[in-house]
Amino acid sequence: MSRLFLDFAVRAYIVGVLVGVTAPTIGCFLVQRRLSLIGDGMGHLAFAGVAIGVAAGFAPVWGALAIAVIGALLLEWLRTRGRLASDLSLALVFYFGIALGLEVLTASGRFSGVGFAVLFGDPLSVTTGEIWLVLALCLLVGGIVALFYKEFLAVALDEETARASGLPVDRLNVLLVVLVALLVAAGMRVVGLLLVAALLVIPVAAGSRLAHSFRGAMAWSVGAGVASSLLGLLAAVGQGDLAPGGSIVLTSIMLFFVAAAAGRRAARLHTRRQ
Amino acid sequence: MQVTVQLRDVGFGYGAVPVLDGTDLEMRAGEFAVFAGANGSGKTTVLRLCLGLLKPDSGSVRVLGGSPSDREVRRRIGYAPQGLRMVTSLPVSVTEVVAAGLAPTKGVLRRMDRRDWRKVDTAIEAVGLGDLSAECLFELSGGQQQRAILARAMVGDPELLLLDEPTTGIDRSLRPTLAAELRRRADSGVTVVAVSHDPDDFHEVCDRILIVDEHKVSQITHEEFHTHIETGGLG
Repeated sequence: MSRLFLDFAVRAYIVGVLVGVTAPTIGCFLVQRRLSLIGDGMGHLAFAGVAIGVAAGFAPVWGALAIAVIGALLLEWLRTRGRLASDLSLALVFYFGIALGLEVLTASGRFSGVGFAVLFGDPLSVTTGEIWLVLALCLLVGGIVALFYKEFLAVALDEETARASGLPVDRLNVLLVVLVALLVAAGMRVVGLLLVAALLVIPVAAGSRLAHSFRGAMAWSVGAGVASSLLGLLAAVGQGDLAPGGSIVLTSIMLFFVAAAAGRRAARLHTRRQ
Repeated sequence: MQVTVQLRDVGFGYGAVPVLDGTDLEMRAGEFAVFAGANGSGKTTVLRLCLGLLKPDSGSVRVLGGSPSDREVRRRIGYAPQGLRMVTSLPVSVTEVVAAGLAPTKGVLRRMDRRDWRKVDTAIEAVGLGDLSAECLFELSGGQQQRAILARAMVGDPELLLLDEPTTGIDRSLRPTLAAELRRRADSGVTVVAVSHDPDDFHEVCDRILIVDEHKVSQITHEEFHTHIETGGLG
């Protein structure tokens, strides 16, 4: 049997597709609100959670999940109270998370074993139990986005008007960053904490070049996310020496350039028809 | 008729710069008022106080019988801000922008049904964008974008319409149609407040022209407004 269809590869494809669908779905709202870097902040903070979880004897994902959610709430609290500019608060979270994670993992002698896998992803060693966890997290994130789609869109389009019209904007913002934290925990094993934000943003950048509506951009983004995950994983499994997380993100960047070229051509045709 | 907007002895300033001082204003259901005057006179400040986006330093603001910071009250208000406040990161169709105006009234967890989409189509038709409903908002002219924002404010059938410079960028030939649509809504019981530096757009259809003069809201006639401009009183 080809390497491409061995059990470990199929498990990787499953988690890759799950995260490839879910990350751009929530990423559309982040990009529209110019919060593209928040996934990075969550990823860095989750690293501290992984380290604390490992030191305390838990599976890395639980520590990542707990600390990312707490960090998301804290970050939004600081942002809404104007205590910190959003880029400054993100930078603080970045450096705090990485530094704390590095120190705790090194002190517990687990950096080489755990650190590399969670920072850069290791989808080829995903277990069946982890697939169920990623499935549960992705269903939760996707389900909540579906339920609150019209509210998230109204806030993403114009926060002040949404607030003036009676939408609970602060609560929706908190919910959105918590969903990002859940997605980061889900994507940790696929592309790693340093690259998971790329799947939140790059497929969305690609999808936005091909659509005339938000819903259309979301559909194209999900397509780009799934294609990036599958093609990247196929390349990594087939070739054998490629890091899967890196190949997924590099594939998504290539798809972005293809979409940008196709979008320019479509725009020219659209203009000519008018 | 029911009082829908009530400012009592309202004072407000940006830091040490006073904008309103001891201002009173009362509007009733079915009234159509235009706030006129120069930029910086405080027209938009009054609107934002009515929306609960600003809090008065003194006095009280009540709209639709409640506090403007009450979400239930806000859901009964349609608001069109001045110009396009949206970021242009992702494409958004005209239909999606207008449908966003239904999100607050529809309620969380309730999906848009066929009747809601009909309301969206009707609002888009009312501002003359029927042929462009599927187009990306950011690819339209400034006037077309403004019309979409007006449709978003009107789509939820609000009891109070607060519009900040609603005719900005809109072709002069289309303005009477929009003014007539606002008059029609006022006749059906909606209170309409439009901030405009040029009340000529509405003078044939509005009931009152209001100005903020010496930190107070006062009512003037159309002729008085033009006299003020000619003598530099509002310019």
